[in-house]
Amino acid sequence: MTITIDRRIYNDSVISKALYWLSGDYLIERSLSDNNTESVTITANSATDISETELETRLMQTLNDFKLRQIVADETRDIKTILYAKAFAEDEDLSEEDIHD
Amino acid sequence: MTDKEYYLLPFDFTEISGKEVLVNELGDMIISPKGTVQKIVDRSLPKDDLYKSLVANFFISEQIVPPLAEIYAERLREKKRFLESWTGLHIFVLTLRCNQNCVYCQASSQNEESNGCTMSKETMEKSVELMFRSPSDSITMEFQGGEPSLVPDIFEYGIQLAEEINKTEQKEIHYVLCTNSIHLTDRMLDICEKYGVVISTSLDGPAFLHNANRGKKDSYERVVAGIERGRQAVGNEKVSALMTTSVEGLNYPIEIVDEYVKLGFHAMFLRALNPYGLATHNDNWSEYTDRFIDFYKKAFEHILELNKKGTYFVEEFAAIVLRKMLTPYCTGFVDLQSPAGVINSVLIYNYDGGVYCSDESRMLAEFNDYTFRLGSVDDKYEDLVFGKKAKEIANVWANEALAGCSDCALKQYCGADPVRNYSTQGDMYGNRATSLLCRKNKAIIEYLISLIIERHDEVMPIFRSWVS
Ligand code: SF4
Repeated sequence: MTITIDRRIYNDSVISKALYWLSGDYLIERSLSDNNTESVTITANSATDISETELETRLMQTLNDFKLRQIVADETRDIKTILYAKAFAEDEDLSEEDIHD
Repeated sequence: MTDKEYYLLPFDFTEISGKEVLVNELGDMIISPKGTVQKIVDRSLPKDDLYKSLVANFFISEQIVPPLAEIYAERLREKKRFLESWTGLHIFVLTLRCNQNCVYCQASSQNEESNGCTMSKETMEKSVELMFRSPSDSITMEFQGGEPSLVPDIFEYGIQLAEEINKTEQKEIHYVLCTNSIHLTDRMLDICEKYGVVISTSLDGPAFLHNANRGKKDSYERVVAGIERGRQAVGNEKVSALMTTSVEGLNYPIEIVDEYVKLGFHAMFLRALNPYGLATHNDNWSEYTDRFIDFYKKAFEHILELNKKGTYFVEEFAAIVLRKMLTPYCTGFVDLQSPAGVINSVLIYNYDGGVYCSDESRMLAEFNDYTFRLGSVDDKYEDLVFGKKAKEIANVWANEALAGCSDCALKQYCGADPVRNYSTQGDMYGNRATSLLCRKNKAIIEYLISLIIERHDEVMPIFRSWVS
């Protein structure tokens, strides 16, 4: 099965993370059709009950979830550093000014 | 308020029982309708109770730095408190000799009569000295084998040394004897009584199953007699039992639980086989893992029923996970920690003087794999715990930084295990997509959350009683 993914919607990190979880049961081949389009060919390692439609639905769902995770991670990177520094780095005094909006 | 309406705080999410389960860095969990995270990110969340709950529980903040950031930091610190207290569990492998012949033996035991494979006095002295170098105020000295009760002299010598040094060190010190209870002589019991040693015995279930697992006809009777004698010597609360689910045991979840209840225990740890030592001969680990998950759920349902009928009985793996979920405290359980329990929480002193970072890693050494040998009892403490090997392991011991785990909503309740990754997948980093440990942990943690979602009023009083 080959799925086409628009890399303007899902960046490389999001695609990699989503495909990671399929890598146990499937052979995955990624190739760029052009700058914005990635083709992903997915072949089951062994006989499976999961239909291609189900697999595609699951993959799209996983891509969307990882995209959301990416947004949360990007938006919280600085505050996470501040909170962890407050908790564990005794001499770090980071504050609101250290957040790059 | 700014044009952003609110700011996000770090959290992850997953779908369980048709709900979106959000978990933040503190391990706090919010169960919400599907689509909630999309709304949070889009800023289209209505200002209802869910919104208030997300603010109150540190998932979003109305200010760029949450007003209670200091409390957040303190709670974060509490969750990783086990790091501050340093290595608390010190395991002494006294001998590889054993008087049983377990089908799943994970310790590469030797025949009872075999020579060698027993810790010398000199090795014990150096090991105890190293143990006291740990900055931890509270230490547990655990004796393992083989069967440690076959070597009472070195067992007693170790405790006497620790008592002597502790006159000046003044640490809180606990002793644990891991024994099959077959050879609990009066002398062993006198030592246990004198020093308040906790006896942790092994019991796999009813007689037919226990005896089959041990390769002996009378093992069960002797263990039960040993448990009774142990209770008389050190008191009921200081005798516990640990089961291992053999392939045959997978067929008897109810019977195994009932056996523990019958013998007057109030807790059990439903423990899977692990692929070390001779246990590696069990070939189909994938099938075993799926069957174990099924076994676990059946046994757990039975435990819930017992509790509902008024018998207080705890499943300890669940209790550890639930404590992480429902309380602000860390648990100190070495197998579900990040950074991993290896070195941070446990050190092993092997009978031959080798120092290892976990019980499993010394078992690998019996197969001539010394990957996790930190050094020997002749080495300096600093060289062992901050040495090259320790640093190599430290690169891969936090699930916050491992592919698969770092985005997993369950990571606050789970742990990293570089030794298991290595022994089952060939490298310490591991691959979560094919990891059977990940499959098992994920399935059990998701199952516990699904119970909270689907049967909240029924299970929560029980769960709360387990974690309080
Ligand atoms: S091992 Fe699996 S369940 Fe545990 S944190 Fe990692 S990905 Fe999640």
